[in-house]
Amino acid sequence: MARYAIVLDTRRCIGCHSCTVACRVNNNLPVDMIYNPVTTVGPTGIFPDVHMVHIPLLCMHCANPPCVECCPTGASQQREDGIVWVDEDKCVGCKACVMACPYGARIPNHETGIVQKCDFCMDRVLVGKEPFCVKTCHQRARIFGDLDDKTSEVYKLVNREPVTRLLPELGTEPHAFYILD
Amino acid sequence: MSTDVDLKDPGIQVKKSVCFFCHNNCGMLVYVKDGKVLHVEGDDDYPVNNGGLCSRGNVNQIFLDHPDRLNYPLKRAGKRGEGKWERVTWEQALDEIAARLTQIKEEFGAEALATAGGTQRTDDWARRRFMNLYGSPNGFHNAHLCWIPTFMVETAIYGWCPFEIDMGNSRCLVLWGQNPAASVLPEMSQISNFKKNGLKLIVIDPRFTESAAKADLWLPLRPGSDSALALAWLNVIIWEGLYDSAFIENCCVGFDELAKHVQQYTPEWAAPLTWLDPEQIRLGARMYATNKPGNIQWGTAVDQIGRPGGATMHARALLRAVTGNLDAPGSDLLTGPAQDFMTDEEMEANDWLPEEQKAKQLGSDKFKLITWEGYGKIAAITREVWGKAPTAEWMCEAHPPTVFNAMITGEPYPVKAIITLASNPINSYGQTSQVIEALRKVDFHVSVEYWMTPTAALADYVLPTACTLERPTITSTYGCSDFLLASQRAIPPMYERRTDYDFWRGLALRMGQDEMWPWENLEEANYYRIYPLGYPVSSYDEFVENYRFHFPEREYYKYGRLGFATPSRRVELVSSTLAELGYPSMPSYVGPAENEIDDPELAEKYPLVMTSVGGFMPYHHSEHFQIKELRFLRHAPRVEINPETAAKLGIQQGDWVWVETRRGRIKQQAELTQAIHPRVVTTERGWWYPERGVVEPDLGGCLESNPNVLTSVADEHCDPLSGTWANRGLLCRVYKVDGKDGQ
Amino acid sequence: MEHKEDIWGWMLAVDFFFAGMGGAMLVIGGVAGLFLDQGSASWLGNILAPLFIALGAGLLILELGRPFRAWRVFMNPKAILTVGAWCMLLAIGLGLISASFAFEIFPWSGASALRQAAAALGAVFGLVVATYPGILLGRHKARPFWSGPGMMVLFLVSSLATGCAALLLSGLIVPPETSGLQAILPGLTIGLLAFQLLLWPAYLWVKHSGTTDREARAAELWLKGDFSLGFLAGVLLAGTLLPLACLMLGGTIFQAIGALLVLVGGLFIRLLVIYSGVYRTWLPGEEKYRSRLPTGDEAFLKALKSK
Ligand SMILES: Nc1nc2c(c(=O)[nH]1)N[C@H]1C(S)=C(S)[C@@H](COP(=O)(O)OP(=O)(O)OC[C@H]3O[C@@H](n4cnc5c(=O)[nH]c(N)nc54)[C@H](O)[C@@H]3O)O[C@H]1N2
Ligand SMILES: Nc1nc2c(c(=O)[nH]1)N[C@H]1C(S)=C(S)[C@@H](COP(=O)(O)OP(=O)(O)OC[C@H]3O[C@@H](n4cnc5c(=O)[nH]c(N)nc54)[C@H](O)[C@@H]3O)O[C@H]1N2
Ligand code: SF4
Ligand code: SF4
Ligand code: SF4
Ligand code: SF4
Ligand code: SF4
Ligand SMILES: [Mo]
Repeated sequence: MARYAIVLDTRRCIGCHSCTVACRVNNNLPVDMIYNPVTTVGPTGIFPDVHMVHIPLLCMHCANPPCVECCPTGASQQREDGIVWVDEDKCVGCKACVMACPYGARIPNHETGIVQKCDFCMDRVLVGKEPFCVKTCHQRARIFGDLDDKTSEVYKLVNREPVTRLLPELGTEPHAFYILD
Repeated sequence: MSTDVDLKDPGIQVKKSVCFFCHNNCGMLVYVKDGKVLHVEGDDDYPVNNGGLCSRGNVNQIFLDHPDRLNYPLKRAGKRGEGKWERVTWEQALDEIAARLTQIKEEFGAEALATAGGTQRTDDWARRRFMNLYGSPNGFHNAHLCWIPTFMVETAIYGWCPFEIDMGNSRCLVLWGQNPAASVLPEMSQISNFKKNGLKLIVIDPRFTESAAKADLWLPLRPGSDSALALAWLNVIIWEGLYDSAFIENCCVGFDELAKHVQQYTPEWAAPLTWLDPEQIRLGARMYATNKPGNIQWGTAVDQIGRPGGATMHARALLRAVTGNLDAPGSDLLTGPAQDFMTDEEMEANDWLPEEQKAKQLGSDKFKLITWEGYGKIAAITREVWGKAPTAEWMCEAHPPTVFNAMITGEPYPVKAIITLASNPINSYGQTSQVIEALRKVDFHVSVEYWMTPTAALADYVLPTACTLERPTITSTYGCSDFLLASQRAIPPMYERRTDYDFWRGLALRMGQDEMWPWENLEEANYYRIYPLGYPVSSYDEFVENYRFHFPEREYYKYGRLGFATPSRRVELVSSTLAELGYPSMPSYVGPAENEIDDPELAEKYPLVMTSVGGFMPYHHSEHFQIKELRFLRHAPRVEINPETAAKLGIQQGDWVWVETRRGRIKQQAELTQAIHPRVVTTERGWWYPERGVVEPDLGGCLESNPNVLTSVADEHCDPLSGTWANRGLLCRVYKVDGKDGQ
Repeated sequence: MEHKEDIWGWMLAVDFFFAGMGGAMLVIGGVAGLFLDQGSASWLGNILAPLFIALGAGLLILELGRPFRAWRVFMNPKAILTVGAWCMLLAIGLGLISASFAFEIFPWSGASALRQAAAALGAVFGLVVATYPGILLGRHKARPFWSGPGMMVLFLVSSLATGCAALLLSGLIVPPETSGLQAILPGLTIGLLAFQLLLWPAYLWVKHSGTTDREARAAELWLKGDFSLGFLAGVLLAGTLLPLACLMLGGTIFQAIGALLVLVGGLFIRLLVIYSGVYRTWLPGEEKYRSRLPTGDEAFLKALKSK
């Protein structure tokens, strides 16, 4: 069984928002819905001793996802390969998951009333393609793959580079791994 | 739910296209069914982008059929700029335009027609061909702001411009006024790759940019003071003995003279001019000179500092020469023009422009390097050595501000008609008040566009052009690269759009140029161009489908075989070509176009230094402000101000502020950031507000937030060599927009 | 401050308010009916309890993005909301049954064992309804103001106080047949308010001096930030101290005013608590990112939205 994960290499990310646009355009999202923002921290410090880093975000596909547990309808689900997704037919838009997700990854759709999220581009991944945001990232700052596959780039990066996760203290076990400087 | 297409659908064709929303021309695969585009994605096999696409690349499909795109030829029905149009046929439009241009030529001479272009958006050899055959020397682009002056200064000194950098083998890269992390994204990816192997990165930029954030050394100099820094680096490298003596001995002339000349330019001398400290300056020079081979990448900043531009390019070029970083593995390569396919220049029919018409080129009396005199000289030498000349369209043009001035004043002679094609001069040329006055005044104006831009709104005819998915494209760096990348039309033009080539040819056929335009469409012309490559293909499309690229084998040290394309066949550290044109043969310090040292009084009134940047995502110059998917991410213009300065001025994050120079004022939103010096502010360029509608007098708010309202095209602010005007390093003041003025 | 993140809004706060109040009324009424000698509440109070819960449930449904599919919320037994939904449904049913015994037109109105069973069960589910919002919020680890068991206690106490006050008011309007409960309600309310008066500062103090920076910052907003005025004026003064004083003064008028003020206080608490959920633990750079997104009324959005 695969265990999908993503590595976000902030050494390479330049904060160009291409991934944000790729996700929105290809997933046909309304203009105000963003699954995968890229934030900028900085410049911190005082000119000219400054520092800046860009943080690409998306659903962390937590191994222990509070958004699934809290969903009263069972619309939020986690697959065996780790992908957390929403069965849109079942969702009633109660926003319990919006509140429960520590990573801001749950986005209400004002047109339909349901809550949506990044699903790792499930329908692409299942036929062997990369998620849109990963493919479009010309900086290769987003690297997607199967953590159970020892030959995969994500496996190598997660095991060889100093990776961190966001808000690890919450026990959500994100499957998004960050390489900071 | 994704819109991914089912690739197994037998009706789907995959077309090999490119994105034309910037010069990178990233490869795209376009999935087409029944003439409709279903999906666009980056082409994994394309060497520029390896499957990636930037934010703009991702909106190609939206762009293709955006409801605001121009789809039919329009003829002005009301007063100019009033927004009243009548839909006409292409035939009627072309007939009428041709008749009018014929009449203008008869009455005022061919030179009364000018054309304004942008930079490398389209097949501009066709424009040149038309103008040459028509007889006007007054075509131009704002290429003056974008690489062309650099190209010509460098070609004068060592016979070609090293725009191809051999980064894979390099140990040090200098980004001199370039921010590839926001403007040339594929390059940035390469930089990140090579940094892993130890490539040192030096960034020379007043702002702490996305690229500077990844640098080993960042030199935040005062905008426009680049010539002081370049000269001080020359001083350090020469007087600390860090130069490449073998290269200088074997390949250069004039070293001793240069050494003596730069002795005065010590880091201590440069420090107060550049606002850097001398040790920083030394550190940079040593890092570049001792981590060999190394590269200095071109950035557009130096092309836009105006008066000191030429001297700065000159000094920067000499840095490569004294370190021997020319045409060696890992250094800046002198590839020369393409040997094996038809270059743009060969398509331009430059021989057809009579000498007496060349002499009439506006601005050529003042700015010699990129007008016929300088270009003619340099082209003659490159022809001798390389066999071919650089593209004349771009490298040999009328001086835009001089032409606009002629449109307004009739001096030195009247310019009565202008074709603006692939450019939005109101937003992108210097000192907007002049541009807009010229366009309001000119007798006849035709615009060929995707959108109703502020410029197009002032035209008499607006013709809808086909975009990248609707036309074939050859990518070859202003026609100067020795390689090419070829792409095909994904679908035929929608509605009544036509390619720019079809426009020029359509006019040409109506004006008696029939014999000179044998290629019925762009594919035929392109086939003619690639035919000499000798691939076994019978059409351009076949070439794209089967080969797509042509990269000649890389040859280092070509000068060993050919010499350098200069009069002495050596790198001329003391330039005979520049001297012959009446310019200094060695670079001396030239201060920023406006500065506190030469003009303290002005600095008292305008105490801050303004610069403007183009490279910021997701926009490209004045384009894409209509596209909500992009606009949502950056919906208002930002001016960067240091928090210390902002506090003094009572400005808070997000406040609308006026930025004012002697030429006018604009408003943008304050972005408080430690990225810049307390005395510098950076404005974002390109901004207008298409959502407001584009009619006089507001014209889509084109004067409201557009930094070119602030820039200067006065002759004394222009670079004497190239005539490039001053966008960066000007004096300004900043104050809060009050009450009603805000948005 | 402008945030693009969508969160629960006032409807949910009002839902929690009514449901909590109704649940607590079931608890108090039920316990009194079972254990106090002359204990039961007025029929008005008894009937209001399930109606309040139903009102709450109605608001909850309206708050849903797809109200017509509300029935689906009963599907995931692991989710607290599902448990809450079931408990609300049962509490409403049991409350209605309990209340029906007061009306002789129902044939079962004499069956006292049945009545007691319904009241007891109603009290159990009422207790869950009064408590679960606190549990629900307390489990949000990334909403620093909510997280932890404290919320549960605060919600329970506030629900009980509002429940007492509502019963007291109902009793003033329609006096109950027996006066036992009505007599002790003011005292009970006073006790709960006094407890609440200690509880809130304690909660804020624990948060402020507490485990993480984020919690400290969250508490700060109640002490001197966005929520401090609402907290001081709405929760402490109008919702706790003033009613305390009124109830201590006694007399029908003051009791009525006091009881009403308790309700105001309860509403304030719910609103402020729910809104303080906006303050998620921000990811690096996230706050700035969100603050820069369009707010929705930009000219370009209106003009370009349809394109
Ligand atoms: N203040 C300031 N000014 C600057 C700069 C700066 O940094 N600061 N940068 C300068 C630089 S580097 C450049 S390159 C110039 C760019 O200047 P321009 O090239 O004039 O760029 P735009 O303003 O985007 O105008 C291009 C127009 O052409 C249209 N267009 C695009 N492609 C095609 C095509 O294939 N055919 C036709 N017919 N139309 C097309 C677009 O819709 C757009 O309206 O601006 C320069 N001006
Ligand atoms: N997103 C985006 N990408 C683009 C474009 C675009 O409009 N938008 N335009 C395309 C085009 S045509 C071009 S030419 C390139 C241009 O791309 P770049 O060469 O990167 O040009 P800019 O971003 O305009 O300016 C580069 C840097 O120059 C700095 N600078 C300002 N004043 C000075 C100065 O006086 N001296 C020095 N040394 N630096 C200074 C600015 O802070 C800025 O970071 O980008 C291309 N790519
Ligand atoms: S596309 Fe890549 S480099 Fe650009 S913002 Fe997204 S992750 Fe960063
Ligand atoms: S990031 Fe949020 S939405 Fe994604 S799995 Fe974790 S909790 Fe769920
Ligand atoms: S909004 Fe939809 S997905 Fe989220 S918890 Fe409610 S029902 Fe589940
Ligand atoms: S994986 Fe797919 S759905 Fe998720 S952020 Fe990336 S593009 Fe969007
Ligand atoms: S706009 Fe973006 S995708 Fe298009 S060519 Fe430029 S970098 Fe490539
Ligand atoms: Mo440019």
